Amino acid sequence: MSKIEPTSTRFVIEPLSQFDLSTHSRTTTVRSIAITSLSNPTILYVGTNSGTLFSLSADTNDSNTSQNGTVPSDSASFLHKLSFIRSVSVSDSPVDAVLVLADLGKVLLLSDGSLFLVDSELSNRAFRLGFSKGVAVVTRRKMRNNESEGLGFDMNNQNHRFLQKLGGLIVKDGETQSGACVLALAIGRKLVIVELVLGSGKSGKSDKDFNNGSLVVLKEIQCVDGVVSTMVWIDDSIFVGTVNGYSLISCVSGQSSVIFSLPDVSRPPRLKLLHREWRVLLLVDNVGVIVDVQGQPVGGSLVFRHGLQSVGELSFYVVVVSDGKIELYNKKNGVCAQVLPFGGEGIGPCVVASEEDKSGKIVAVATATKVVCYQKLPSVEQIKDLLRKKNYKGAICLVEELESEGEMSKDLLSFIHAQVGFLLLFDLHFEEAVDHFLLSDTMQPSEIFPFIMRDPNRWSLLVPRNRYWGLHPPPAPLEDVVDDGLMTIQRASFLRKAGVETIVDNDLFLNPPNRADLLESAIKNISRYLEASREKKLTQSVSEGVDTLLMYLYRALNRTEDMERLASSTNCCVVEELEHMLEESGHLRTLAFLYASKGMSSKAVSIWRILARNYSSSLWKDPALDNIIQDSGENLISGKAIAAEASKILEESSDQDLILQHLGWIADISQVLAVEVLTSDKREIQLSPDEVVTSIDPQKVEILQRYLQWLIEHQDCFDTQLHTLYALSLAKSAIEAFEFENISENLASGNTERKNLATLRNSIFQTPVRERLQIFLQSSDLYDPEEVLDLIEGSELWLEKAILYRRLGQETLVLQILALKLEDSEAAEQYCAEIGRADAYMQLLEMYLDPQDGKDPMFTAAVRLLHNHGESLDPLQVLEKLSPDMPLQLASETLLRMFRARVHHHRQGQIVHSLSRAVDIDARLSRLDERSRHVQINDESLCDSCNARLGTKLFAMYPDDTVVCYKCYRRQGESVSVSGRNFKEDILIKPGWLVSR
Amino acid sequence: MATIGHNNLNAKLVLLGDMGAGKSSLVLRFVKGQFLEFQESTIGAAFFSQTLAVNDATVKFEIWDTAGQERYHSLAPMYYRGAAAAIIVYDITSTDSFSRAKKWVQELQKQGNPNMVMAFAGNKCDLEDKRKVTAEDLSTGKMIGNAKESRGLYYLDNGLDFKDQQKTYSGATISNENHSDQILDLNNNEGPPEMPQHNDSYKETQSGFTTIDPT
Ligand SMILES: Nc1nc2c(ncn2[C@@H]2O[C@H](COP(=O)(O)OP(=O)(O)O)[C@@H](O)[C@H]2O)c(=O)[nH]1
Ligand SMILES: [Mg+2]
Repeated sequence: MSKIEPTSTRFVIEPLSQFDLSTHSRTTTVRSIAITSLSNPTILYVGTNSGTLFSLSADTNDSNTSQNGTVPSDSASFLHKLSFIRSVSVSDSPVDAVLVLADLGKVLLLSDGSLFLVDSELSNRAFRLGFSKGVAVVTRRKMRNNESEGLGFDMNNQNHRFLQKLGGLIVKDGETQSGACVLALAIGRKLVIVELVLGSGKSGKSDKDFNNGSLVVLKEIQCVDGVVSTMVWIDDSIFVGTVNGYSLISCVSGQSSVIFSLPDVSRPPRLKLLHREWRVLLLVDNVGVIVDVQGQPVGGSLVFRHGLQSVGELSFYVVVVSDGKIELYNKKNGVCAQVLPFGGEGIGPCVVASEEDKSGKIVAVATATKVVCYQKLPSVEQIKDLLRKKNYKGAICLVEELESEGEMSKDLLSFIHAQVGFLLLFDLHFEEAVDHFLLSDTMQPSEIFPFIMRDPNRWSLLVPRNRYWGLHPPPAPLEDVVDDGLMTIQRASFLRKAGVETIVDNDLFLNPPNRADLLESAIKNISRYLEASREKKLTQSVSEGVDTLLMYLYRALNRTEDMERLASSTNCCVVEELEHMLEESGHLRTLAFLYASKGMSSKAVSIWRILARNYSSSLWKDPALDNIIQDSGENLISGKAIAAEASKILEESSDQDLILQHLGWIADISQVLAVEVLTSDKREIQLSPDEVVTSIDPQKVEILQRYLQWLIEHQDCFDTQLHTLYALSLAKSAIEAFEFENISENLASGNTERKNLATLRNSIFQTPVRERLQIFLQSSDLYDPEEVLDLIEGSELWLEKAILYRRLGQETLVLQILALKLEDSEAAEQYCAEIGRADAYMQLLEMYLDPQDGKDPMFTAAVRLLHNHGESLDPLQVLEKLSPDMPLQLASETLLRMFRARVHHHRQGQIVHSLSRAVDIDARLSRLDERSRHVQINDESLCDSCNARLGTKLFAMYPDDTVVCYKCYRRQGESVSVSGRNFKEDILIKPGWLVSR
Repeated sequence: MATIGHNNLNAKLVLLGDMGAGKSSLVLRFVKGQFLEFQESTIGAAFFSQTLAVNDATVKFEIWDTAGQERYHSLAPMYYRGAAAAIIVYDITSTDSFSRAKKWVQELQKQGNPNMVMAFAGNKCDLEDKRKVTAEDLSTGKMIGNAKESRGLYYLDNGLDFKDQQKTYSGATISNENHSDQILDLNNNEGPPEMPQHNDSYKETQSGFTTIDPT
């Protein structure tokens, strides 16, 4: 930690102005110094060894020279002079300490163990405050608002009052507010807490002009540890240092606790309040320990490399002076950020003073005869300086520190990231450059455009003329950036050989990269930036630029996959900018995707068609024997993929001509895709079925069938012509399939069987055509059955014929086909049941018994029929129909079955009859039960309807147990009771009446 | 002091021991997984923090790595005050560092937080052939104070023969004796800087550091 790390060397401060005491007085030397910025301009108070105090003005108004970004120089020779304002004599002894009471307009001085008060203009004589004698240290209480109360651990009332009275200088949000001036004085082993009360002047004059005042003792605290030689008081904690060590004394309880003791032989203790963090720095040797208000250590120790004579604070640094050098150490990580000499070594004791303020900007150091003022460079200047030295890491480090301290606005942070990015870009560190670009919220993607496309172009006017801090050259195409960068490295290497130091990246210098690699890295990373930019909200024209140029970059690296992904996703590419380029470079797929995504369907599909043609021709051209199978497989897949892309476009298109124009080649590659194109429900305007039907290749029957099926089943098409067409087409296919099957069956050879299987597999339908035909013929009634019949008349499609005849009501023909041709007696019986007349069964029986055409009678079927439906057949008629040649055994069985069926039928009827009777008897019984119920009537009984006393009168009771007099009964009738219940409509059933059998 | 909130523990951990024993190396290994052949001597104290997942809680260690120099001895109380755990490190090749370590134990027992978990760590186990601190030394080490006071003292040193040893990870052993004496490998040169989190026995030892009262 003891060496300056290159990334941490900064220019935090620069010399501002100086003052040479020897020009004013030959005899005296500087003893103490204080600085205040509450007044404007900033004023320095310098106490001398000869007992005087003088003030200097650090007027910064005319010292703006270094604000303009010139590198601060280490020499102080051109510095402005601090202007001397006034001096006042204090005592004969050295002025040991100067305390500026800015809120009171006073300065408190410690000299010769006594306290003196002087007005801040030094216009009056210093006033010696009575009482004090032997004071070694004086410190003022500082409080951070609202924080003192919570700390009073076991405060009794008295203490609380004391604490309230105590008050102090309240520091709130970095601003000092006026409060009571409470001081702690160290007198030997004793701490005396006093309040400074200013005396009032004579009438008419303000306090300011008089330096009188008095000290009121509030409390005395005995300090056991030793003689106090340094002290800091924040909130309720008084930190004191003695030769033995550091202690913390609570001003509330007076209790003291050791923070740590000092090694036996060591430098005198020294304390420094760190306003910014509200912590205290405790020094031991050249080590600084930072503790919080409770005395607990926070963070690691600071190690001051060269020891120290005096310590101050500026922003996040501790400022130490020693040996004619001023050094800044980062409070957080202990890193030494800057070293500035201000006088040669051996210059003697020096002191440093810093503003007692969180946002101090000035520190002053004094040697015996010289005072030098330093001002903090604005953060921006510090960063610029680091960037100029190409210390990007250091700059970012500082930026991050500033950000974590809340001292950097988001916009500035973004600005700096962009600036660093551009610098890195020109230094050929493309990856890091883009990393920084991506961290910038304010950078416009269009700022990158000139690096990709030469000006002027479509987007030239969009590019903001943001030159940042002007630290990098104006944008140029990446090739130029790379060439220039390489040239710079080359030149630097010459210079280096000649012994001239240059600030060129060592890494690049040692391993000069090759141009191609650099260019590739540049393009890759800029693509990454554009990719990320796509996620942002951009104006239309910028989005167009981003996407178009991204395509350019992808193409430059031939990243086909990315190109196609970009082209096929939603994008803002400008087609005219890319069309030509993509065609030239043969990225036809990308172009097709692009056309499609831009809604230029016809162009897109045309390209797909060309691609498909190319694929298929390459298939023919390349008959390399070994690869042929593999190749053809691949090409086939590719061809399908191409057709799929085209069909995807066509599925959404409503342009009928376009669709029908391309249907052919797509169908050649894949019938399924062609069908998908035709049956898509994604298009807005449906195709005209007639035109589609006529334009489908007559060879591709399945496409037609699929299309018609879709129209009929999914689009609820009621066009009888189309229904008929569908039926005819199916029938034709069915006949063909039937014949084909027959042939292959006849041949019964393995070869044809395989072929048969193959044709079956090639079909785009899953169910065989006959099944489809039968289902359709049965389900639709919009086709013309006769036309279909005409077609299949001569064929073997008997079931289909049966369906059609049934449609035409030709019962006999239907039965004939079912019963005799197909011998499907079940279907035949079913059909009879459909017809629903007994004579149908009879007709069927007749057919079974006399099939004609020389066929043998189908006795089994006949017997079955009689068994199932014998009861509906007239036995006489049956007997008549029985053929004389029927074998007796069969005939008897037939008749027996018929009779048995009839007897069975009869018996069944009897059983049902008896069961009904039983129920009837049960019901009667219940009725009787109900009627024979006894009802008890007494004198009190009333009619439920007219409330008349029943007495001995005739009365009636309803099933719901209501009782009425006879008169009312006549009026109401039997079926409606008093409650209004109508027993005819709303039947009442009592549990006992239920037939339980 | 270890503080608990939402399964998040904050634990102040302090490292004490002779200069050159390897305190800083140990911390660096734990926090950053690094080892430097030429570790600069610590001045004052260095501060680190490291968060660990132990079972379903997270423990944020605030680690104070103190300077071993005698000169800064007086700063140590400031760092071990209120610490939940202390690791006292010695170098197994140096008897001086061992006696210094014993003194630290005594000091902590006298002045430290009574609930503090102490670990006694023998470092540089890769230099076994140069070992000067033996098992006997360590058993006399255990005699520090009376038995009650030595409770909660964890012994971390491998290569020494203890009965009832249990193998844990990469050569580390845990002795079951009294359930409180643990011997861990503290070789900075090898082994994972953060021991595998899925290793249960490791968790056991880890929780040892955060337990306020191990008895
Ligand atoms: N061989 C070996 N050397 C170590 C080990 N741990 C630390 N050292 C070395 O011991 C020296 C002192 O280490 P350091 O961590 O500074 O000790 P500290 O003073 O206790 O902080 C350094 O040179 C380390 O490289 C270890 O486990 N094995
Ligand atoms: Mg160390």
